[in-house]
Amino acid sequence: MAGNKGRGRAAYTFNIEAVGFSRGEKLPDVALKPPPLFPDTDYKPVPLKTGEGEDYMLALKQELRETVKRMPYFIEPPEEKQDIERYSKRYMKVYKEEWVPDWRRLPREMMPRKKYKKAGPKAKKVNDTGKDTSLTNTVDVLEKIEELEKRGDGEKSDEENEEKEGTKEKSKEGDDDEEDDAAEQEEYDEEEQEEENDYINSYFEDGDDFGADSDDNMDEATY
Amino acid sequence: MTQAEIKLCSLLLQEHFGEIVEKIGVHLIRTGSQPLRVIAHDTRTPLDQVKKALCVLIQHNLVIYQVHKRGMVEYEAQCSRVLRMLRYPRYIYTAKTLYSDTGELIVEELLLNGKMTMSALVKKVADRLTETMEDGKTMDYGEVSSTFVRLADTHFVQRCPLVPATENSDPGPPPPAPTLVISEKDMYLVPKLNLIGKGKRRRSSEDDAIGEPKAKRLKHTTDNKEPIPDDGIYWQANLDRFHQHFRDQAIVSAVANRMDQTSSEIMRTMLRMSEVTTPSGAPFTQPLSSNEIFRSLPVGYNISKQVLDQYLTLLADDPLEFVAKSGDSGGGMYVINLHKVLGSLATATLESVVQERFGSRCARIFRLVLQKKHLEQKQVEDFAMIPAKEAKDMLYKMLSENFILLQEIPKTPDHAPSRTFYLYTVNILSAARMLLHRCYKSIANLIERRQFETKENKRLLEKSQRVEAIIASMQATGAEEAQLQEIEEMITAPERQQLETLKRNVNKLDASEIQVDETIFLLESYIESTVKRQ
Repeated sequence: MAGNKGRGRAAYTFNIEAVGFSRGEKLPDVALKPPPLFPDTDYKPVPLKTGEGEDYMLALKQELRETVKRMPYFIEPPEEKQDIERYSKRYMKVYKEEWVPDWRRLPREMMPRKKYKKAGPKAKKVNDTGKDTSLTNTVDVLEKIEELEKRGDGEKSDEENEEKEGTKEKSKEGDDDEEDDAAEQEEYDEEEQEEENDYINSYFEDGDDFGADSDDNMDEATY
Repeated sequence: MTQAEIKLCSLLLQEHFGEIVEKIGVHLIRTGSQPLRVIAHDTRTPLDQVKKALCVLIQHNLVIYQVHKRGMVEYEAQCSRVLRMLRYPRYIYTAKTLYSDTGELIVEELLLNGKMTMSALVKKVADRLTETMEDGKTMDYGEVSSTFVRLADTHFVQRCPLVPATENSDPGPPPPAPTLVISEKDMYLVPKLNLIGKGKRRRSSEDDAIGEPKAKRLKHTTDNKEPIPDDGIYWQANLDRFHQHFRDQAIVSAVANRMDQTSSEIMRTMLRMSEVTTPSGAPFTQPLSSNEIFRSLPVGYNISKQVLDQYLTLLADDPLEFVAKSGDSGGGMYVINLHKVLGSLATATLESVVQERFGSRCARIFRLVLQKKHLEQKQVEDFAMIPAKEAKDMLYKMLSENFILLQEIPKTPDHAPSRTFYLYTVNILSAARMLLHRCYKSIANLIERRQFETKENKRLLEKSQRVEAIIASMQATGAEEAQLQEIEEMITAPERQQLETLKRNVNKLDASEIQVDETIFLLESYIESTVKRQ
């Protein structure tokens, strides 16, 4: 700076004394590192409020945290396979109530597409041919590969086919897999078809008889 | 949406609904509204999992959907609603204080399930109440539904938007998503239900044993195929109404602290009278005449009309201006200035934060600047009567922490520092926003710390749970005292100590979460009411 002829003072355009430094005092060093993660505080925090209400809310909060884990809305990630199966794990499983969303309130695309499962082999065949044509017709091979990939890890959620009245409910581990396979087949057919004509043929008119129909769905698509 | 808020949302979603829902929810919060396939693609999650997660989020009113022109359905997260999950214990507790255990369970079930039909809710609550009662006693459905009706009458629960009934003659393909409509007048209308019956007990305590599928119990609820009378009419907790209640409580206790018990009781009466007539976001209550207030005072509260009028005049003369006189008819008309009240509460919160963080002398400077609006540095030093050097130090500290702002007013257009006024001010709105942001951050930190503590001691916790389970089952079969003692000793003394420390820490962290949320509530209400006025 021009006005600062060798006076030995850094070049400031304002009076340094105005910010609290007396003449000749050293300025603080420039901080080159970030502030500490847990800095010392000059004042200790005041203790928390205590009382009946506070205690009750605390208990409620902790209870709630446990409860939500047991709700059907808590979706656990698919478990990775462990090398050694722990015996105790079998008993740690929490049984959740099933939850049937009210499909009328949700967009149509939310419904899992598994409507043909109960229709037996006949319906399945019809679908299979449908799949063939779509196979030859679809140009989008990438789409196909993606679907196949999904088949690998997607369908782990076994809640999807809860039996009616929960009779076969938890004893189905064994035969479940086969069923699931069949179901998957169908599901993907539809996925294909949807890609082509952009509407789901499993959809049914929601007229007066919808209530009855949705009752039927419950068995197949529960979350 | 700030990073701190997103972080907090993520933690909350994860604790309530698991990792998959958290991934989808946070993605939606970050990106705004998105169609289904894009979500699945961007999050690299299988389509069926995305659907499930979205179903959960929609069920809990955390995500809404909208149909776009080309038939696409887009999903949008309700971020501020996600943050309300922090306040669930407080909502439930409020319901308990107002409507006892039945009210508590009704609100708890509604919050846990997002939305429910009245019939399902009443059944569930009656069952739960029956389980806690002594043998042979049961809870009547009628009693639960009468509490429900009271909650609806006081607007603590409200109807969800309905799916309109579709006509059969609808030509063309059905829409990709239903359009939900809400009719204002039916919001709190309880359907006429004939709920007769009693809560059912789970058959016996053995049913409860680990490993026993709950499906059995479920059986008899799904068994009855009779049509549900209130099918499709869903209810949710009306969080705004709860907030209004919290606000009113805060006002009453503020007045009690400032003046005395009687004036707070008058305030409470005025607030109760305007509860239903004033919308929750209004800046003023409806005018109330002193005669009306006198009539509405709680029975057994013995103050004469004269004393009431004196109190009202006192309240109206108070510099904080909580109450204002709006007219002279009917013995004097009074309104509560809700906007002013929230402003005072937020300012008081800020002042006390400054006091606890920086000490009372800093608080003195803060209040001084707040009161005088704009002050030069020299004036601050003089008015606060604090040595210049220390005063500067304190002022700069608060400036760097953004509690105080600096306004430059140049005398010449070149902004030369020597010819510029530097004025210190406090902008309450921006300071409140800054503090709110910090609160979000601290709650996120508290949750993370709690998760860390529990994770560190996971093995120990599991062990103690197992031991407790063994003891409980042995007690049930009538084991000897010595045997029980032996099992109990499986947890060693140092382990027990560690468990106790853990419990104390977790309790402290949890309690802090709840109490920081109270500050969040005050600040948010203030910001909301201020933004609305501007």
